[in-house]
Amino acid sequence: MAELNDVQNEFIRTEIEEYLERPNEIERIIDVFAQAKPEMQAIAAALIDGDNGAVDEMTKAALDAGTDALEVMDDGLISGMGIVGIKFRENFIFVPEVLACARAMKAGMAHIEPILSASGVEPIGSVVMGTVKGDLHDIGKNLCIMMLGGSGFIVHDLGVDTSEDEFMEAVEEHNAPLMGMSALLTTTMPNMGKTIEAFIDSDMREDVKIMVGGAPVTQEFADDMGADGYGKDAVACVELAKKLLLELKAEKGQ
Amino acid sequence: MAGVKQMTSRERVLAALKREPVDRTPVCNPTSVATVELMDLVDAPFPDANREPELMARLAETSYTELGFDTIMPVFSIIQESSALGCKIQWEQKDNWPTVKMREPIWEDADDIRIPPDFLTHPDTACVTDAIRILKKRYGDEVAVVGKTMGPWSLGYHCFGVEPFLLMSLDDPDKTKQCLDRMKKATIDFGIAQIEAGADALTLPDHATGDLVSGEYYERYLKDLHIEFVERLKIPIILHICGKTVDRMDFIAQTGMAAFHYDSKNEPAESMDVVQNRISLVGNINNPETLFSKGPEAVRAEVEKNLDAGIHLIGPECAIPLQTAIENLKEIPIAVKEWTKN
Repeated sequence: MAELNDVQNEFIRTEIEEYLERPNEIERIIDVFAQAKPEMQAIAAALIDGDNGAVDEMTKAALDAGTDALEVMDDGLISGMGIVGIKFRENFIFVPEVLACARAMKAGMAHIEPILSASGVEPIGSVVMGTVKGDLHDIGKNLCIMMLGGSGFIVHDLGVDTSEDEFMEAVEEHNAPLMGMSALLTTTMPNMGKTIEAFIDSDMREDVKIMVGGAPVTQEFADDMGADGYGKDAVACVELAKKLLLELKAEKGQ
Repeated sequence: MAGVKQMTSRERVLAALKREPVDRTPVCNPTSVATVELMDLVDAPFPDANREPELMARLAETSYTELGFDTIMPVFSIIQESSALGCKIQWEQKDNWPTVKMREPIWEDADDIRIPPDFLTHPDTACVTDAIRILKKRYGDEVAVVGKTMGPWSLGYHCFGVEPFLLMSLDDPDKTKQCLDRMKKATIDFGIAQIEAGADALTLPDHATGDLVSGEYYERYLKDLHIEFVERLKIPIILHICGKTVDRMDFIAQTGMAAFHYDSKNEPAESMDVVQNRISLVGNINNPETLFSKGPEAVRAEVEKNLDAGIHLIGPECAIPLQTAIENLKEIPIAVKEWTKN
């Protein structure tokens, strides 16, 4: 088992010491960074600091130097976003800081995505996400998308005011095993249930695991409307997406 | 309470906003009481009730005439000023609130900010001042008529878009302060117009919520502006911020605002401990899980929890869900009156 001093980057060590509290998370993250190259740790540190310019430059330099794109994504960007997610969950940072980190992630991924795409590397899963019909609020949904992207998912963002048909067409088009719906308003929350009913009516319900979230949504509402899971925030959304993906694979005997 | 002569609803609300003795704790919703059932009852449906003064007044007064609340709040949404500033609005139908199309922002920079010359005569702002005049004519000193003027932080979300505005607050604090300072004219002008129309108090929503930004943000960007609003809008102001706010209630209590409308994500007793009688608290009956989904008994339990903690004005935490049953809303004043008797 690695120890904190095995992590070379001082910024990362300080982040772990100051912000991580759960022993299992500390252990897992130390393990991740202890095996990561110093250059990858530096990319992660810049991402956690929200420095998109530095992430952009260092990602490009690492790829130019021959580092594998998957290694840069996993050890640099995704591992950095892992710490960002924990700091956000524990209220050490808030939405503006997460937006800055996501902007840095995007700067790095702009170099990585074309390489992964050309080499046919599969994402860990694909998710269709949208805010439901009648609702124009998207900050919560966008945070989920940033965190999902930061964990290696491919996300198809349908935006706001998304109809039942648009959700179904997108799931079909992208062959997505996961779908997430968001609502901020109590008036639009019932449209989540209506969308799930539309999937049932179209014999598509078994094809996709459906997650729901948003300020007025609770686990109880999620259960009542027949969703497969509820995430109370963007970090929980990622954990839920991973769990549902595993369930889906188990159901299909993969 | 004991020894206090019977008050009118207006007297009761204004006294509670000053933390003076009251004959009973007033019932108040500083955001919106509109529901579909009430719209049907008085034939004043959305979206028209947001745009026509007579319908706005007719739907608003149901909080007093039908529900037994001590206030009338004619502004059911948070879009009136933004519409007058030039934002696009999705007006929706009876079963949904109108919303600003925040993905189509109208400003990118401080220099873009313009308060149009017709800001106060635009149909969507004039509707509010006209509705307040109608209500004051009908109810005089009987019930408190509460107006609403949006704070610059909320206007920033609408006019710049939520993500660009929040990123600007991190990237360029000076520019953000400059933007807030320029947008505050809309808050003050609309507030004064409603005072001149007869409003007894003003709700000032400014959504620097703990779900989005830190308590330190409130102090850095908004505390001084809110102090200025108290100085320039010379009637009681009820600040409204949704979500977790207990970490910034100490700063809020230092502004001189009459009251803070707080959310059910904050515990009543803990909130009272933080504000230490420097500001009245209004709230905090849970909307989605209690008023919208449960029955009168659950509503009563939350009312009593607030009363036991000494909350100054009882009401829903935010705009009532449009499909809320009237029975649940009526339970709030009933529970307050029975608690007072006991």
